[in-house]
Amino acid sequence: MTIRGNWQSSDPLLEMDGVSVNFPVKRAYPFSKRRWIQAVTDVSLQIAEGETFGIVGESGCGKSTLGNAMIGMVRPTGGTVRFQGDDLYALKPKAFKEARRNMQMIFQDPFSSLNPRFTVYDIIKEPMHIRGGASEAEMKAKVLELLKLVGLDEEDLYRNPSDFSGGQRQRIGIARAIVLNPRFLICDEPVSGLDVSVHAQIMNLLMEIQASRNLTYVFISHNLAVVKNVCQNVLVMYLGKVMEAGTSDALFASPQHPYTKALLSAVLDVDVEASHERILLQGDTPSPIDPPKGCRFWQRCPFAMKGCKTVPAELVDVEPGHQIACHLISGFSAEQTAAGLGEPVSAHSES
Amino acid sequence: MSKQNVLLQVARRGGSFLSLVRKLWQHPKGRVGLILVSLLVLTAILAPVLAPYDPYDVTQRAEKGLRPSLAHPLGTTITTGQDIFSMLIYGTRVSLMIGIITGIILAFLGALMGVMAGYIGGFVDNLIMRTVDVLLVIPTLPLIIVLTGLLGRSYFVIVLVFVLFGWTGLARVIRSLVLVLKNSNYVKAAELAGASRWYIMTKHILPGTSHLIIMNTTLTCAGIMVAEAGLSFLGLGDPTAISWGKMLAEAQGGGALLFGAWWWILAPGAGIFLAVFSFMRIGIVMEEIFNPRMKASSSIYKLFKHLNNDYLDEVFDSMDDEGTTVPPEPSRPAVLESDHD
Amino acid sequence: MTDAVLEVRNLKVAFPAPGGVIRAVEGIDLTTKKGECVALVGESGCGKSVTALSIMKLLRTPPSVSRIDKLQLDGRDLTHLTERDMERIRGKDMAMIFQDAMTALNPVMTVGKQIDEVYRRHTKMSRKEAREETVKALELVGVPEARSRADSFPHELSGGMRQRVLIALAFACMPKLIIADEPTTSLDVTIQAQVLDVLRSMQQEHDVSALLITHDLSVVANMADTVYVMYSGKIVERAAVLELFTDPRHPYTEGLLASVPKLSDDKQAFVQIPDTVPHPMHKPDGCYFHPRCSHAGFRCDQQMPRLETLQNGRQIRCWHPLRQERAT
Repeated sequence: MTIRGNWQSSDPLLEMDGVSVNFPVKRAYPFSKRRWIQAVTDVSLQIAEGETFGIVGESGCGKSTLGNAMIGMVRPTGGTVRFQGDDLYALKPKAFKEARRNMQMIFQDPFSSLNPRFTVYDIIKEPMHIRGGASEAEMKAKVLELLKLVGLDEEDLYRNPSDFSGGQRQRIGIARAIVLNPRFLICDEPVSGLDVSVHAQIMNLLMEIQASRNLTYVFISHNLAVVKNVCQNVLVMYLGKVMEAGTSDALFASPQHPYTKALLSAVLDVDVEASHERILLQGDTPSPIDPPKGCRFWQRCPFAMKGCKTVPAELVDVEPGHQIACHLISGFSAEQTAAGLGEPVSAHSES
Repeated sequence: MSKQNVLLQVARRGGSFLSLVRKLWQHPKGRVGLILVSLLVLTAILAPVLAPYDPYDVTQRAEKGLRPSLAHPLGTTITTGQDIFSMLIYGTRVSLMIGIITGIILAFLGALMGVMAGYIGGFVDNLIMRTVDVLLVIPTLPLIIVLTGLLGRSYFVIVLVFVLFGWTGLARVIRSLVLVLKNSNYVKAAELAGASRWYIMTKHILPGTSHLIIMNTTLTCAGIMVAEAGLSFLGLGDPTAISWGKMLAEAQGGGALLFGAWWWILAPGAGIFLAVFSFMRIGIVMEEIFNPRMKASSSIYKLFKHLNNDYLDEVFDSMDDEGTTVPPEPSRPAVLESDHD
Repeated sequence: MTDAVLEVRNLKVAFPAPGGVIRAVEGIDLTTKKGECVALVGESGCGKSVTALSIMKLLRTPPSVSRIDKLQLDGRDLTHLTERDMERIRGKDMAMIFQDAMTALNPVMTVGKQIDEVYRRHTKMSRKEAREETVKALELVGVPEARSRADSFPHELSGGMRQRVLIALAFACMPKLIIADEPTTSLDVTIQAQVLDVLRSMQQEHDVSALLITHDLSVVANMADTVYVMYSGKIVERAAVLELFTDPRHPYTEGLLASVPKLSDDKQAFVQIPDTVPHPMHKPDGCYFHPRCSHAGFRCDQQMPRLETLQNGRQIRCWHPLRQERAT
């Protein structure tokens, strides 16, 4: 059972309780043992209305799957997802569709997130068109309004996405995402595929829109500097599990988990003069198929102890608004220490 | 302003077919293909008008085995004295009809199966794909022969077998594409907004496969025409119709080789070749048009042949620091002959 | 400069296209010294990748047209070499690390074989000897269990491993110059740190000169000794890395630095450079950056500024550089 932090809100817009998502791996032989990709394991969180919630991690950590589970695109294998108080996956189809209209997503790759055969007008109008109930004139007015909001012109209305740059396409994607006035928006690496000078433009646009419409954002990224600047609460994930969680202030002020520290030190800073101790991890990210039973980070952790391999780490509070799942902090029980599980692993074995 | 936009919209949607034809016309090889296909279609439609003699009319038989002459541009057959030129023209009808009709039916069937298998997935996908596997194993020629024995010699049998077995290729290819399209982010966005499966299949998936369907169908038509000719040559298909394949069979049986009546063999052979060639031309050029990478290389090579070197020098000079202050507008054209888009 | 390894003078590259000419590279000069890591920084479309390919003479003449005054590698003039001669040089004296390992490596050949190939092509080694060297190279770049890993195919390796293989390939014959085109862009942050570490140590240990092409300023900050900033085909600033980051002179450099979010920032709005990069066929009059420049002033919209060289070797192309200094 993961402990829910007392720093999270009391009346959340979205709540996840012990959510796990496993995908089956195609069997090599018809009767061989079934293997599972444990994309997300036992994640609990609460997101309050109007906040920006950050999920940080590298590829394979499950952040995209978690995002998909939040908006009903992937059914969790375990746990519940509650949106506006209702169990999302237990809703009847009609109510499910209705609930999902309050959620939208902005995707990472601006080049594949817009249908190249549609015009800009069609793209932004589509959610309204699917939902029905608005006249052509009303839809056109709304599309024009949003186009201006994201910084494009009326003349762009009938152009194709191929006429636009990456940053402009992302703007079109943003316009499409907010056309039904959703309450909840997942931004899945919205600026990773763009040039550096465009990052800032898009981020500013996203922040403006959030402020004016009181939107709730889930911001998925591997760029810690951006996350630190916009998110109130942050989750650090590795291989499907939460390594560290807390308010952005607390977490970045004193990161405790070895993975978080490594991630932070790897985020090369533009500050040439600041010297920081670089923690280099050994080896590569292991595969999420049948992950280790203990702490999933143990193979690359520079401080791993013998017990880390077999004993799973639970999230514990280190201070108000800051939780961490690590044996270094939570320690081992008396019997475990007696069994020698507290001793550091000397050599790093691969695999 | 808005009227222009409306026209633009219409031009984009309904005009995408016209723009395809236009692009084919601009490509030199495509132009050849288009002209040939148009000629063939016109010939088929206007056959009674174009043919100097009516090959079906039993009384209108000239002397047998005549060499090509003004009266009979391609000579006459040895066995029956029919005018070969007229037979050739009428033969267009059979080939094109079977080729195009079968091609269109296969396009529908193959696309439908492919989209269902790819998009719905799961059991439906399995069912369709295993059916494809089974159908691929069954040998079609013996089956046609057997069915012809049972149902009599007609083109219906041939078309039936082609249709029953021919959709597999397109279905597979479409399915692969659909699997990719299904995971596109814009499909996800539509699903989030509450789109039904049907909406996504018709608005997003099918249009995304249209290029592939058109291209594949064109090439399939070519293949079917050859297959039909071969089957007619073997004696299957309607014995009363005039088909190029049948003409070849008659030529062989009638001793054309023995008597040196090359015109009798050349005519249907050329007919088959032209028909297949023109369709394949169009198919290949379409592939170039649809595949952006291939398109670029061919048109850029052509661009280079007509490069204006003086203009290039001007451009490079303008890059110098002490050069002209403004990048030059083409005072002379960049390309000498402009027939590029 | 006697210890210059790479010398490029006045490189110009254009791509004729229907409707005009794409002005990809407009007369740039580059030099690298032995053991120096030179970074070429710019955003997408600025011409940096084209520059890298030109140096390796990998650009074909359709679709490109190029002019160059001088291209020298370690004193040897490459301008008039034939393709055959270039083939002997590539891999041996000059090597490139590409961005995407999956497309740079042959998917149907084991990685070991691909590295063997480099050795056998440029030296007279036997198959066995080449394999020994390959294993050594793989160990050097940090591939665990190098001997057995050499028999893997590229798709069997992780992204970071593949990138290490590319580094091993490039360093195999200890070339004089390594050109790395966005070597870590597609990798995860922690893997990126590892790979860059390997690259940096290999480069320094063997005194190899490196040309690093990237859009990521943080990579530059940690790897480079000298930096060239490129904008729309032109070099707009050149400085030693410390100077560039602490004392940028060109408004574009300043804007770029400011728009990178830092961990040390307080929660504020992101600094942005307005509008977008100019279209490579329709560039503005005067200085290409002036429409977006907050320091634009007299002359900027009429004439392209010259590239001035300052006392300490810094170069700046601007009519109104920040903290102006007199030119030599």
